[in-house]
Amino acid sequence: MDTQWPRWEVFKQDTPSKPHQAVGSVHAADPEHALLTARNVFARRPQAVSMWVARADDIHSWTREELLEGFPKVRADASLAPGRYLVFRKTSHKRSMTFVDFVGEVEARSPEEALVQAQATFGDLEALVWWIVPAEKVYRSDPSQETLESWFAPAKDKTYKQQQYYATVGSHVSKHRGGRGVEDEE
Amino acid sequence: MPAKYGVPSDPDYNERLAEFEARIKRGEKIEPGDWMPEEYRRQLIRMISQHAHSEVVGMLPEGAWITRAPSLKRKMILVAKVQDEAGHGQYLYHAAETLGIRREAMIEALLTGQAKYSSVFNYPTLTWADVGVIGWLVDGAAIKNQTMLAQCSYGPYSRAMVRICAEETFHHKQGKEMVLLYAKGTPKQRRMAQDAINRWWWPALMMMGPHDKDSPNTEVLVRWGIKTKTNDQVRQEFINEHVPEILEAGLTLPDPHLRYDPSTGNWLHGPINWEEFWQVVKGNGPMNKERLEARRRAHAEGAWVREALEAYAAKKRRTAVAV
Repeated sequence: MDTQWPRWEVFKQDTPSKPHQAVGSVHAADPEHALLTARNVFARRPQAVSMWVARADDIHSWTREELLEGFPKVRADASLAPGRYLVFRKTSHKRSMTFVDFVGEVEARSPEEALVQAQATFGDLEALVWWIVPAEKVYRSDPSQETLESWFAPAKDKTYKQQQYYATVGSHVSKHRGGRGVEDEE
Repeated sequence: MPAKYGVPSDPDYNERLAEFEARIKRGEKIEPGDWMPEEYRRQLIRMISQHAHSEVVGMLPEGAWITRAPSLKRKMILVAKVQDEAGHGQYLYHAAETLGIRREAMIEALLTGQAKYSSVFNYPTLTWADVGVIGWLVDGAAIKNQTMLAQCSYGPYSRAMVRICAEETFHHKQGKEMVLLYAKGTPKQRRMAQDAINRWWWPALMMMGPHDKDSPNTEVLVRWGIKTKTNDQVRQEFINEHVPEILEAGLTLPDPHLRYDPSTGNWLHGPINWEEFWQVVKGNGPMNKERLEARRRAHAEGAWVREALEAYAAKKRRTAVAV
């Protein structure tokens, strides 16, 4: 029985000055459901101000290895209507909890042409992974103050999810006689 | 985009394997779309899906105590922790999916009992002190393993592990804090803490899996950078960190052979009861049946939610077409 919903890639923005970054995926029946699920799965910690989702099937992806093996055939016929594409890129092998970062938009007649534009615009032939997504296929969380607060403020108040909350961090009990928390245990 | 999973009968297999191993040696991450041996993919699916199932089943032993938490503060902490485990299961299913296996197939394997998950979750949680000891020892053991796996050569698994480690540290700290409080609390609290340590110590040591000499997968897993340490190395790190802290808290460990070896700086443990480990893995542990039944029940009872979401999405699609 095939009941699996489509897979959506999730992009989270930690602060207004940072780019949206790919953090993982969720399964959902529609964009609204995908955004809500993304919020529940990926914003249980305070670092979040905005989320985007895009269906995995709408994302065009190339790794550096794939591009070295052969550049994709670029379709740029005059018959194709130009459109906007969002460009994401991974540049480092360093250990990280995020994958590709949003770098900007390009206008092109096909995803392959968008890739060429992206390489030219963002001056990077060495990127490890490129993701190209048609702009109209990316769904964004509501930027209103009301949504911002109801979605992302609760995680900020839950300080007990931070390890710094616990007095015993990183050293032996002998150094923490009379640590916090006794009041509700006894 | 065709997935590129190489098998030894491919004409260019040896050449590609050499490139692949060189990439790993250079510290590069393998990403979805890159060439990889089919065996690398198979081992990763096996490990990541078991890991995902462990997070999901891991909600059950502690979840049972949410309604009986001794204070609002402890209840909120436990709710957040159990919620995290659900999220960690999701991160890991996502990582496995990048290897071309469907989430639905993995969940099906869990619900039908074909899939394995960490044997430690097949032990019962008898008192509130178990919640503290699970955080300190079981999550402590898990974090040692996860920190190692965060270095993994496969990008999606490594990223899931980095995210999990960052969140999981609080699970470990809240457990440790709770046990240390009990250790200096009333005689009854001390007895509860000691009893919980006595019951969870050996299952925690078994979490890292069989000794290296009995672990046939280790060699290839280390060569391909899936693991960067062996089971025995991770187990030793866990013991060296936790034994001195437990002893210093005035608690004891249920291992008469446990001793400090000044020549290596290691705490050496006595023999592990692998017969018990394999019995639990094979489904004969104290709680295997109950855990699986709880998962199946939750899946069946959630069916109406999935149906409602599907119906809502279908309605919106119809409306969109009408407009």
